[in-house]
Amino acid sequence: MYVLGIESTAHTFGAGIVEDGKVLSNERDTLKPASGGIVPREAAAHHYRLASTILKNALDSAGIGLKDVDLIGFSQGPGLIPALKVGAQVSAYLSEKYMIRRVGVNHCIAHLEIARACTGIDDPVMLYVSGGNTQVITYLGGRYVVFGETEDIGVGNLIDKIGRRMGIPFPAGPKIEKLAAAGKKYSSLPYSVKGMDVSFSGIETYVSRMPGKDSAEDVAFSLQETVFAMLIEASERAMAYCKKDSLVITGGVAANARLNEMGSVMCRERSARFERIPLEYAGDNGAMIAHTAYLMRDYKQNDFVVKPRYRTDMVEITYR
Amino acid sequence: MKLMAVGSEARLYAEGDRVIKVRDRKGYRIKEIDEQLRKTRTRIEFGILRKCYTAGLPVPSPIRLDEDRYTIEMERIEGVPFDTAFSAGKMGEFGEMVAKMHGLGVFHGDLTTANILSTGKGLVLIDFGLAGYSAKEEDRATDLFLLKNALRSRHGGEFEGAYRRFLGAYSAAIGKGFKGINAHLKDIEKRRRYNEDY
Repeated sequence: MYVLGIESTAHTFGAGIVEDGKVLSNERDTLKPASGGIVPREAAAHHYRLASTILKNALDSAGIGLKDVDLIGFSQGPGLIPALKVGAQVSAYLSEKYMIRRVGVNHCIAHLEIARACTGIDDPVMLYVSGGNTQVITYLGGRYVVFGETEDIGVGNLIDKIGRRMGIPFPAGPKIEKLAAAGKKYSSLPYSVKGMDVSFSGIETYVSRMPGKDSAEDVAFSLQETVFAMLIEASERAMAYCKKDSLVITGGVAANARLNEMGSVMCRERSARFERIPLEYAGDNGAMIAHTAYLMRDYKQNDFVVKPRYRTDMVEITYR
Repeated sequence: MKLMAVGSEARLYAEGDRVIKVRDRKGYRIKEIDEQLRKTRTRIEFGILRKCYTAGLPVPSPIRLDEDRYTIEMERIEGVPFDTAFSAGKMGEFGEMVAKMHGLGVFHGDLTTANILSTGKGLVLIDFGLAGYSAKEEDRATDLFLLKNALRSRHGGEFEGAYRRFLGAYSAAIGKGFKGINAHLKDIEKRRRYNEDY
């Protein structure tokens, strides 16, 4: 069974082909604005412009044509409405024209499913960290339950905002990581873990009011050490509470080596397993949507409206 | 000393009729953050325990604080964790207890059914590891929010009734401040990402 997956929730347009759970291709392009953050309609324009090329590349490198596709999955949410609509419209068009069934996929669950497939860990706690999303998720009683999450902004978004203040273009993560590696002096920042929830807006305000005597390296260092400690603490609390013995980190921020190091140390200290996701599957991508659509192949669905606030725990999981 | 439990941030040891709680060093965070968090949390936890105990709340009685060793000694309570011995019928008692704690200017910070013991003499509130001093509606509402989530995720089938009973007793005991707290609770729920009720 060939499944095409289309991802378009935020700044990435991706298309991937999966054959019976095995990834054949995974093509994508990410909008990188020259200055500032993502403007939703600019992301949509980017996706419309590149959709057909990326689709063609995904089919070509999988060595199949559209008429071979048995099922189409698309990211139904959460995400930016104009960007989401591109994937929904492209999938609707292909579905009509080639008479292929389609299924709407929850983006956050797709991250989790591809993480399970990549690591071979069946029942992990997942820390999902990206620009817009910061969630600690695990499977409990037929659903993916969000145990902890940000009460305000996503961690990637915080890093981007502080980066912008420091003159670093979007996405600021890689540059902040490089600066932080050279930082030495820790300045105490607001540390806010409430149960398993975290909150970041206090840090943004605090950094914006810092007198500027810390070097960029030291600010980046203090920022990373504080927010990652918060995330790892929340993850550890979820693991202890749900009695689960493995952690995977995914999402765009999973590319950060220091975050992975902290996750791996935490797991070692509690004799748990830690795995990182290959970068190709950590960021937004089409293969994860195709893979999840494959798992959901027996779902009967007739609501294909995009859901910008689609919650992880709204989806009933019947394939596990 | 016998190891009783390993939590996510501390180890509990039993010694006779006492429990010794030691906050562990976490290798994943830098020394500056680690020591500051452990020291502050240990000190605050002891102070809060003392305050609640003195006011007559059912909590373990605090015995000794050793800040430099990140250690608290307290009374050992015989009981079963409420999440395994869950009974929706006890939610009223629990609601009154939380209202009384809030009345003292204390929030728990980790209010789940795993942090209450069910004993022969009623419920006993434990683990003030994330507790703090505040009479802000926001912090009180956060306690309610955490409990509501824990009830939903751990005791889904009985969630509605259990939460209603809790909230009824809580609002009656807290009095006229409840309106503001409830408004904050709704606000926190909205603030979480992707709430469908927006």
